Amino acid sequence: MKGIVFTEFLELVEAKFGLEVVDKIITAANLPSGGAYTAIGTYDFAEMLSLLTHLSSYTNIAINDLLLVYGEHFFSVLASSYPQLIDKYEDPIALLSSIENHIHVEVRKIYPDAELPTFEIVEKAEDSLTMIYKSSRAMSSFGLGLMNKTFAHYNTNAEILLEHIKEDGTEVKFSITKN
Amino acid sequence: MQAISFLLIEDDLIETMKFKRVLDGLDAKHTISQAENGEEALRLLKSTKELPNVILLDLNMPKMNGIEFLTSLKNDAVLKYIPAIILSTSNNRKDILECYNIGIAGYIMKPLKYGEYKTKIENLVAYWSSNEFIKV
Amino acid sequence: MTSINPEILQRALLREKAARKQAEKILEDKSKELYLITEQLRKANKKLQSGLTEKTTELQGVFDNLVDAYVLMNLKGEIINLNGAAKELFGYDVSEEKINVIQLIYKDDFEYAINSFKLLISKGFFSDYIARVNTKNKGIRWVHINASIIKNSNQKPIGAQGIVKDITNQRAIETQNKKLLHDLEKSNEELGEYAHIVSHDLKSPLRSINALVNWLREDYENILDDSGLKNISLIEQTLEKMEHLINGILNYSSINNNTDLKNTAVDINSVLQDIISTIYIPSHTTVTALQQLPTIKGDKTRIQQLFQNIISNAVNYIDKEVGTVSVSFEENQSHYIFQIKDNGIGIEKEHFDKIFKIFQSLGNNKNSTGIGLSIVKKIVEAYEGEIWLKSEPKVGTSFFFSLKK
Repeated sequence: MKGIVFTEFLELVEAKFGLEVVDKIITAANLPSGGAYTAIGTYDFAEMLSLLTHLSSYTNIAINDLLLVYGEHFFSVLASSYPQLIDKYEDPIALLSSIENHIHVEVRKIYPDAELPTFEIVEKAEDSLTMIYKSSRAMSSFGLGLMNKTFAHYNTNAEILLEHIKEDGTEVKFSITKN
Repeated sequence: MQAISFLLIEDDLIETMKFKRVLDGLDAKHTISQAENGEEALRLLKSTKELPNVILLDLNMPKMNGIEFLTSLKNDAVLKYIPAIILSTSNNRKDILECYNIGIAGYIMKPLKYGEYKTKIENLVAYWSSNEFIKV
Repeated sequence: MTSINPEILQRALLREKAARKQAEKILEDKSKELYLITEQLRKANKKLQSGLTEKTTELQGVFDNLVDAYVLMNLKGEIINLNGAAKELFGYDVSEEKINVIQLIYKDDFEYAINSFKLLISKGFFSDYIARVNTKNKGIRWVHINASIIKNSNQKPIGAQGIVKDITNQRAIETQNKKLLHDLEKSNEELGEYAHIVSHDLKSPLRSINALVNWLREDYENILDDSGLKNISLIEQTLEKMEHLINGILNYSSINNNTDLKNTAVDINSVLQDIISTIYIPSHTTVTALQQLPTIKGDKTRIQQLFQNIISNAVNYIDKEVGTVSVSFEENQSHYIFQIKDNGIGIEKEHFDKIFKIFQSLGNNKNSTGIGLSIVKKIVEAYEGEIWLKSEPKVGTSFFFSLKK
């Protein structure tokens, strides 16, 4: 998993819960990297899972909710780092339906070894989109957070329903309807 | 033998003398009228009351040549019935063909030797003496 | 804000340091990787560049050294490049002024040019285009052009190239040659006709003299003495010889009209029989064919003339008690080769060439005009053949001639 996901995550934790919590979960997780992350490095996904688990148990917030918040935060990271990627699209539906064909293609140019989820489009209309999320990481909530902020970015909002196709969350149906 | 009236179209004096001499040597009283070229011959034919029985002509003549004369002759409603015989120095195949095509009654080569000439003309006269002519 | 445990800060600091070192290491590795890739790229580029330069130089060499004009244009007809020869021919320098090939086309050849251009587009090339072009300094020139379409690596047509040859002078020479040939043919024909007319005109006085002499004999038979009568017959003989000569000229001049050289099948066996029955052959002489002779394609009169002239020549010059003239032949892929052999007086070697020339008679034979063998040679040449002879004085002569099948 790309280092930026770790650094941004820890920064968010520090902002929300303070440096002590960061220190606590890192120490508790007993990570191979020792919690020293650089945005340009690559780290084992198990470390993220471990950090999330410890944060969840420390804060009593469900992992999915943590991921949702993190996703929402991560959108701003992307928006400020790669504004041209987002400005290309006139509306959020167009952006979301291009994740697979355009955005991920661009991501791979920068991070050739990035392990990305797939978003398979089932149905697309002017104001609605149905996609199937597939990833062994089961981080659909992270995706949901990103999507929420996407709509917010275009000063609009949407109703997004998540429906687990596989119980472990590795395959999730996103039903998006723009309000 | 009947006497024949000939029209000889010939510009060469000696040739004319030759023809006359052959005819003079014969018993029958054949007659000869003369023209030096085709033009003169046509004039004569159109003005005379007595048309000749046979026309003899050389192909190479001044003014109107033999072919031109023959063509005029055969295009004339009256004159076309007169048999015309060529006396020529040329055995050019093209000339002979053209003459027969227009309509001639004979084509005789002028031989070098007078003796041969005499025989040919005597034969010619004898042949036409035994022929019937059309009187228009 | 509550004070933070220094240990926590210290640990955070250590993590930051470690992260920085990691980042530095990653960056260093990346830089190294980047450097290596750049090096590889540079090498590959260099290789490509030198390959390209090589090819370009090669092409430039061809382009510059091409003797013919080379024109490179785009699909709109705008000329992109001209080699030295093309600049020289058209007088334009594309680096100084824009030229479209349309401007170069001579107005009367416009339609032809457009059709050729269409062909170039549809087929990808055209060849042997021959038309006029306007040039800047040389006026209108005739050119021969072969052109083809140039495609890019995706097989898309991007332009056209043409090799242009200035054929103005060549054409002028050709036209001149054609005219010369035509004039020559015409004058030949006129000469033939002239000979024909002159011959007939010459014969006419002969006939007259003959008649007059005959009349002298007839009319003055009693007055003339033997000597007078002998002179009269000598005049007649001379007249005959004269006519013979004139006929010879007539024959010789009419061979030129080779319009109907090959028309019918001519059986040489029957030609030989005709000759034997036509010409005078003394009783002590025989003319025979040594084998069955072929049937060839030709003009019967000419072929007969050919054989007759040689055979009568042979017969005339036999001095032996038993004279033989024999005809035989061989053939190869292209020609029949005939041999006519006699046991006559023979011919001296120094006369071999001379006998084929007009009016060259060797013996003092009254039947010989000196035209016969020149006619023979002319006929043989008209049938793309050759004539030659072998002879031994006092023993005999063999004439050989070939006739194209």
